[in-house]
Amino acid sequence: MLCEHCKKREATVKYVEVINGVKTEHNLCAQCASHIDMGQYSALFEGEFPLGKLLSGLLGMQETDRTSERFSGVVCPTCGTTYEEFVKNSQFGCPDCYSVFDPLIAENIRHLQGSEKHVGKRPADWKRPLAGEVETARETEDSLKEDGASQETPEPSENEAASSGAQAALTAKERVRLLQARLKDAVKREEYEEAASLRDEIHKLEEEISQHE
Amino acid sequence: MNKWYEDPGTPGSNVIYSRIRLVRNWREYPFPGKMTREQSAEMTGKLYEGLAGIGSLEGKKFRFAYLDRMADLEKTALFERRAINRSVLKKHQPSGLILSEDEREGVVLNGDDHIRIQTVDMGLCLSRLYQRADRIDDYIGNRFDYSFDEKYGYLTSFPTNVGTGLRASAVVHLPVLSRKKNFASLTADMARFGTVIRGVYGDGGENFGSLYQVSNQKTLGQSEKEIIDLVAKTAAELDVQEKKLRKDALRQRPLGRADEAYKSYGVLRYARRLTRKDAMELLSQIMAGINDGILKTDEPCSLFGLMVGIQPANLLSRSEKPLSREELDAARAAFLRERLPEIQ
Repeated sequence: MLCEHCKKREATVKYVEVINGVKTEHNLCAQCASHIDMGQYSALFEGEFPLGKLLSGLLGMQETDRTSERFSGVVCPTCGTTYEEFVKNSQFGCPDCYSVFDPLIAENIRHLQGSEKHVGKRPADWKRPLAGEVETARETEDSLKEDGASQETPEPSENEAASSGAQAALTAKERVRLLQARLKDAVKREEYEEAASLRDEIHKLEEEISQHE
Repeated sequence: MNKWYEDPGTPGSNVIYSRIRLVRNWREYPFPGKMTREQSAEMTGKLYEGLAGIGSLEGKKFRFAYLDRMADLEKTALFERRAINRSVLKKHQPSGLILSEDEREGVVLNGDDHIRIQTVDMGLCLSRLYQRADRIDDYIGNRFDYSFDEKYGYLTSFPTNVGTGLRASAVVHLPVLSRKKNFASLTADMARFGTVIRGVYGDGGENFGSLYQVSNQKTLGQSEKEIIDLVAKTAAELDVQEKKLRKDALRQRPLGRADEAYKSYGVLRYARRLTRKDAMELLSQIMAGINDGILKTDEPCSLFGLMVGIQPANLLSRSEKPLSREELDAARAAFLRERLPEIQ
């Protein structure tokens, strides 16, 4: 089928619009599709390979003010990638981003990939980590990072020393937010034992926060 | 040594070439998008050093090059030959390429991900290519710890590659099938089975030469073997459908088909100026003509190799001076006159 807009190229994009129950169908080529306003979906046609941006489209689409507000503070402690940055580029900054953003994007990855569990090859010397081991490792990394952060990170400006205290408090709050999301996820998966331990962790953190305040 | 695309491929098959790509990341560094220039240079250097012996693995000579120091023309030529991907073409941070002499095996360092392993060869040979890529992967994995996660598998910059990090693709020549009305719905159906199809050479939405690449859409939750089988089956199915249509066309209008093939050959044999689009379309016609037994060459030859050779950057790299558009079209015609196989 030829593109209904330019009538030259093969139509590769089918855009179905439903407005007030009236369904209209458009068959366009990728070039013409990129020039037409399809709201959030337009992001999919920017650049030459839309697949990479697919996740941005999916996340952007379903994002309501409520969710963006709730997730807006989530930042990967290792590389500084923010949730907004991820939504914009569909790209992670470091391996830790996967666990940091997992509660927020697991559903989307499942949607995109049709699965959420790797079943293929593993590195030859890979050993399944014991529960808790990963967390401890990450925490140690965090504390190390805090020590060296001011020299390493190039972007932050002069008031870095002043803000580092606030940053630590923020991280605790952020952590609560993260745990809450994980808790929600656990409840959804009916993993009640995991949910219970997450709930306890949240309580503990919240108490710590209130003591500080 | 002949490059992989100069080999004749499988006679009678519309599957032109197959390719395996694996992406991996080294646990020591953030993903390339978040790396500083210094980190990029340091990591690329370390990977180079650690992989210096890769040649012994394949029993071939490998070239080690820094892509950021390479001239744009050479990089574009490598891209046209499918040795590097588009995103690394525009990258300014230090990035590297380890490429075997015949360009069948390559590793891109610090592109979208730290390590991008690629194996490619003529014909439908995904399992064999995967074995080779797997061997290179083990070689690298034994020297550098990969980012791997129990749940998500191999961790990658883009969540579209996470899990196996495997993209298996096969390029199929579909001159008749792609012009059928139902081609769009056929490709849409393919998406339902988890494969995507897209044009290989072209401009905007236009396809030159009717080469289409089939690859797996998903990288998570399927084993490497399942992914490879899926792509191989889809490519084989497209080959069968194309063959059927071509056989019907040959039966219904033998003179018309013969005329198309011989005319295309005649034009390429004597033309003095050829645009990329025209040359690709004519080569596609000859490819189909040889495949269907209409044209018989003295010796087996790779029409696909000629398609690669007439891409702008590859033509320009053969020339000693920069060429205007008209000169480029003339160089293209000359290139083809010289290399077109003799027919009986």
